[in-house]
Amino acid sequence: MKKIISFILGTVVALNLSISVANAAAKEVRVAFFLEWPTPNQEDKVKGMFEKAMGVPVKWTNFSNGGAMTDAMLAGDIDISYSQGLVPFINAVKSKAPLKLVDVAMEYGMGGTTCVTSKASGITSANGSELEGKKVAVPLGTMAEYVFDESMKVVGADKSKMTVIQMDPEEGAAALVSGDVSMACLFGGNSIKAALTVGTRLLTVQAARDAGIKGIDITSVTDKFMKENPGMLRTFIEVTHEANARYAAGKSDMNVIAKDAEMKLGDMKETLGGFVFLNAADTKKSMESGGNLDGFLKGMGTPNGAVDTSFLPL
Amino acid sequence: MITGIITFLIIFAVIGSILYGLKLAKTEKIDAVFGNPERAKGGAHWIIVGSSFLLIAWLYYSWDLAKSFYPQSANELCQVAKVNDSMLSLKYLFPINEREFKSTSIIKAENKNIEKLANEIRNSSTIRNQDKDKLLDFIKKTKRTIPLLTNEILLENKTKIKLNELTNRIIGLTEDFQKISYPPKKTIEEENKRIEALKTQGGWGSSGTAVENTIEIPTIPETKKGLKFDAAAKELIFISDDFFKLRNHNTQYKTLIKEIKDGIKKYRSELDETHEVASILAKDVLKIARRIEYASIFPPKTLNDMEQAILEFDKVQKKEQGGLRLIDIFLFPTGTIISSGPNCSEQGSGRWLPKPSDTLKKFTLLLKPSVGFKNIPLIWYEMMDVSKIVGFILPDWIADIIPGKYPIHSNDGTVKPNFKSKVLNVVTGEFKLFKIPVPMGHIWDSFLRVLLGLVLGIIFGVPLGLLMGLNRFAKGFFDPLIELYRPVPPLAWAPLVITVFGIDNVGKVFLLFMVSFSIMIISARAGASGTQLSKIHASHSLGASKWQILRYVIFPNSLPEILTGVRVAVGMCWGTLVAAEFLAGTTGIGFVENVAKKYFQYEVIWITIFVMGMLGLLFDIALRKIITKTIPWHGKG
Repeated sequence: MKKIISFILGTVVALNLSISVANAAAKEVRVAFFLEWPTPNQEDKVKGMFEKAMGVPVKWTNFSNGGAMTDAMLAGDIDISYSQGLVPFINAVKSKAPLKLVDVAMEYGMGGTTCVTSKASGITSANGSELEGKKVAVPLGTMAEYVFDESMKVVGADKSKMTVIQMDPEEGAAALVSGDVSMACLFGGNSIKAALTVGTRLLTVQAARDAGIKGIDITSVTDKFMKENPGMLRTFIEVTHEANARYAAGKSDMNVIAKDAEMKLGDMKETLGGFVFLNAADTKKSMESGGNLDGFLKGMGTPNGAVDTSFLPL
Repeated sequence: MITGIITFLIIFAVIGSILYGLKLAKTEKIDAVFGNPERAKGGAHWIIVGSSFLLIAWLYYSWDLAKSFYPQSANELCQVAKVNDSMLSLKYLFPINEREFKSTSIIKAENKNIEKLANEIRNSSTIRNQDKDKLLDFIKKTKRTIPLLTNEILLENKTKIKLNELTNRIIGLTEDFQKISYPPKKTIEEENKRIEALKTQGGWGSSGTAVENTIEIPTIPETKKGLKFDAAAKELIFISDDFFKLRNHNTQYKTLIKEIKDGIKKYRSELDETHEVASILAKDVLKIARRIEYASIFPPKTLNDMEQAILEFDKVQKKEQGGLRLIDIFLFPTGTIISSGPNCSEQGSGRWLPKPSDTLKKFTLLLKPSVGFKNIPLIWYEMMDVSKIVGFILPDWIADIIPGKYPIHSNDGTVKPNFKSKVLNVVTGEFKLFKIPVPMGHIWDSFLRVLLGLVLGIIFGVPLGLLMGLNRFAKGFFDPLIELYRPVPPLAWAPLVITVFGIDNVGKVFLLFMVSFSIMIISARAGASGTQLSKIHASHSLGASKWQILRYVIFPNSLPEILTGVRVAVGMCWGTLVAAEFLAGTTGIGFVENVAKKYFQYEVIWITIFVMGMLGLLFDIALRKIITKTIPWHGKG
């Protein structure tokens, strides 16, 4: 009996200890990013500028959606998520994930994330309420879901009367092409392009901008990495902002970015053209009380303390 | 509370069952030898022990035991976590949780980087020699900044005093922290404010009124111990901030770094566009210099006092935790509560393994038809007109073949129905009969898909399988087809099936049909060809026809194989269904799980897992009943 008890206690203690011991020193930085989502800092990524600036190897991993980025960050496989959508970040923070928002990657209109209705359905923004009772494909828990919600408010359709199907952008585009759904909300250049061959944008880029529908992508980081390597994080954001400034000055190497984003040059330019990159001062304004980002976060009921502006290169 | 009672009940049940089992083993007359299946019969008490162990493990690793026996512990540990969190940045400077000083590792890394960059410059073929000299000079200077930071003699008095001050603040905090009077009493107003805030903050555990996630751990300190740690955490944040504002930049260093910065700036402005490579390299040098400038590098022994003070405080705060520390170690396995900004959260198994009590709360909530998941109940009923069934059964073309034309609208804008259109209404179910309740909801949809896939698989698979077992042509003809598609994992078909059949039920049911079909064929074929020849000969010599042999000899003999096949198929179907519903779906258990994952709703995820387990179990129990009913001779031959 004594042996059994000591064995059980030993197992319990060993389990407790084995998990709490972790290696903290950063020998490399692991960054998550999206394909089909071109950003100026991809030039630096390809040319190894991040490695040089941060002084450690940088490992880039591409993801298909922001939720997966969060999963990987929580599992300890990713330190920094670049251009994670705001919606997945908010979902993560709401579910008590120890993540921080440290920078706005970009703001974008409906160019990059949009809802496309099929031409066969004959639905446009004018008769948007006809979507009620139809099937729509939406990647739930991403920025596209937010765009879907807002678009439905604009066209005056009741989304609770629609059949919302959970589909990632590539599948959503395929379902729109095959006629399974009347509308698909998507992000990513290639998916939108595929959808537009059989459909039209529910709201034009301009109409969406007028209605105030705006996507925000952010840079998020694990608490642990932030506490441990504040210098590296600051450098990462600084290099990114430098790349944005270079893009604004028209000095970016578009071919490199297109190749890294796995897009054709023309498509890439069009997608990139829809992004607005804020400089550090504007970013701070957006992140602070009363700013765009702050309004977005509050509107979605994000718990306080998820934003940290102290790493911006001001 | 309830969890506590249940825990004790479980423990008593386990002890009781074990004692009963031991007693039974002693008193039971054993007449079955080893290997006799009779020995495995019975034993309900061991079922109690087994499921109790599962439940205990769940209660323990989801930290529900901690919650029921020490409901305050989460709140107190949250305050402790705040202290740990505020010390973290400081701790990282010292070899407390690390192998070496942060300064050491930075210097090591930067020296390496400087060397690498210098090599790159030396070996570069695109830049001119004069540029090389200039750049290498910058590098040399950058390298020289490091000893300026690490030399103790150069450390300025001002910096020393500030470091001492910070160290004393930590020591002071350590002393105060051990006093009973700490933290100093707040004004009544502030205290009232806190008490007011305490009322609105909920308890530990997830909300039972919303499917969405809510903050699970109350952050405002509720107990005296909590207040103490909360106050210390706040003070430590100030100390930490002050420390990181401090830079060990003496005059010599400042002059040198300014020289480097100005030099590089001037150098880069003088270069024209043809020498961009050199310009970029100069910028890289500057980056290293600035990284060194930003890092908190101090001479080797300067921070010893501070390290001691921090270690001392750490020791004291651990001591002050008292019993809480034991609770943390034993009742919060594989993790603890950590603080992130103003919020606290469970990190470890408590995060992804929801507490049984919370899961039950959420499950009750989801079961409410008005709540459900994404506006669809888990399982409920709706009133459906019988006419819909009539409309489903009767084919629509009946109306089309009736002579005449469908009515056309008249001049006054009305449409008069005629006989043809009335028939169309009947065959499409557009009329009113009486209503009957039919089940609906996520669980029902999943259940129905599996059932349909399975039934279709049996209907088509069993006859074909029997045929293949008995007929040379059938065997030869179908064998390549079946054998080619059978080994392919069912999910490999999924993308194709969804493209061909769409995202509706048809595609999913077809996928499940593919799964069960091949299994049924194989088992029916094995059953048919495994029939004892003597039985067939016996019936043949008694004058049985082909049909009679098939019906009364071969079929009953292959039933055990077929029914085992069904059991296997059920399991495979469930696995495939969930994945199919992951791909595209609007209802179903797999859909619920997939969406819940996107919102990180761990309770819902676990609920779906349990529901699937339960449904699978129900199917299996039903099948076992059928097996014992239809083939009572099985296993006794």
